[in-house]
Amino acid sequence: MSQFQQILRITRPTKIELIKLKRRIKVARRLHRVLKDRLIILTQELISLIRRSLELRTKVHSELVKCEGLLLDALSISTPQVVEVYANTRYSSVTAIVGSRVVAGVRVPLVELERKEATIDYSAYPLTLHEVGKCYDAVIEDISRLAEMEISIVKLGAEVARIRRRVNALENILIPRMENTIKFLEMKFEEREREDKMRLKKVKELLTRRSQGG
Amino acid sequence: MVNILTNRDIIEAYLREELKVVNRSLPLKRKLLAELLREEYPHVITRDGGIHMFRKSELKLAYELLGDELAGKLYLPIILEVRTDLKETTLVVKDEVAAKLIARVLGLSKYELPLYLYPVHLQELRKKIETLIQYAFTLEGITP
Repeated sequence: MSQFQQILRITRPTKIELIKLKRRIKVARRLHRVLKDRLIILTQELISLIRRSLELRTKVHSELVKCEGLLLDALSISTPQVVEVYANTRYSSVTAIVGSRVVAGVRVPLVELERKEATIDYSAYPLTLHEVGKCYDAVIEDISRLAEMEISIVKLGAEVARIRRRVNALENILIPRMENTIKFLEMKFEEREREDKMRLKKVKELLTRRSQGG
Repeated sequence: MVNILTNRDIIEAYLREELKVVNRSLPLKRKLLAELLREEYPHVITRDGGIHMFRKSELKLAYELLGDELAGKLYLPIILEVRTDLKETTLVVKDEVAAKLIARVLGLSKYELPLYLYPVHLQELRKKIETLIQYAFTLEGITP
């Protein structure tokens, strides 16, 4: 029996069983609809995240190259010690706040950077150094965002795979089998009805023959 | 396998469970935009006990788009109700202020309540206010 003709195992082919099966197929179709909608939303979210993370990764790479160039320029004016002091005293604190957010039932991380500006004498440092600082600030911001996105991609991907398996099982196995079983039961009842009609006809004929003979 | 598939209760229980999984991350209590802007770590507690954090930059964008008066009326996160009873994937926004914010984000000059959204709109919303929105899946007849 091919997969598309398979039917469910039923204890007794009764009308009650058929009614139950019809109710069950309704529920299965609803479940399929919910899962499919969720799959659409999650897949869209996943594709958009992959696209954005790819763009961000490219941006981070080009920014890093740019920052390195700026740093080399700055090092031609200031000594490495001055650069280090500037880098260490620019902010009094840099905190990465790691929280979570929810996307269609999937918990994904959310990272935000919080910087507290320190009171330093900016005029004591050359302008090129400020540019380097600004450049690396942007890079760090982007890297934290990238980390958040890449972990989200892994989590969403796993959920998409899980839902897709279920949607496929419903779409290709459970619902077609239920439909086949309903068709099978309906045909069986029709056949039984026809048999009953024939039997009744024969009984009627027999009775009329007997009454005529008697 | 057949026994599991033939059991009606199992399929219904699974459907309920699936709705629970999706909806358990909805907030227990939503907060006003104005209130969230004052918080150091803007967040809401979800039904499963976790937290849903908001990005500060997105809160500020919502404030800029709505202004001071409406910021005191907008409850966050905005719940986008996914209507699974309709043929196409359709999302509904019933809240007036939330619909106004979404219309402004999407650049819709005219809209009606409830505001109907389709997957194509979500891309823009995800770009600008991804932490301010949440999805709720509804199904007539079966409650999670």
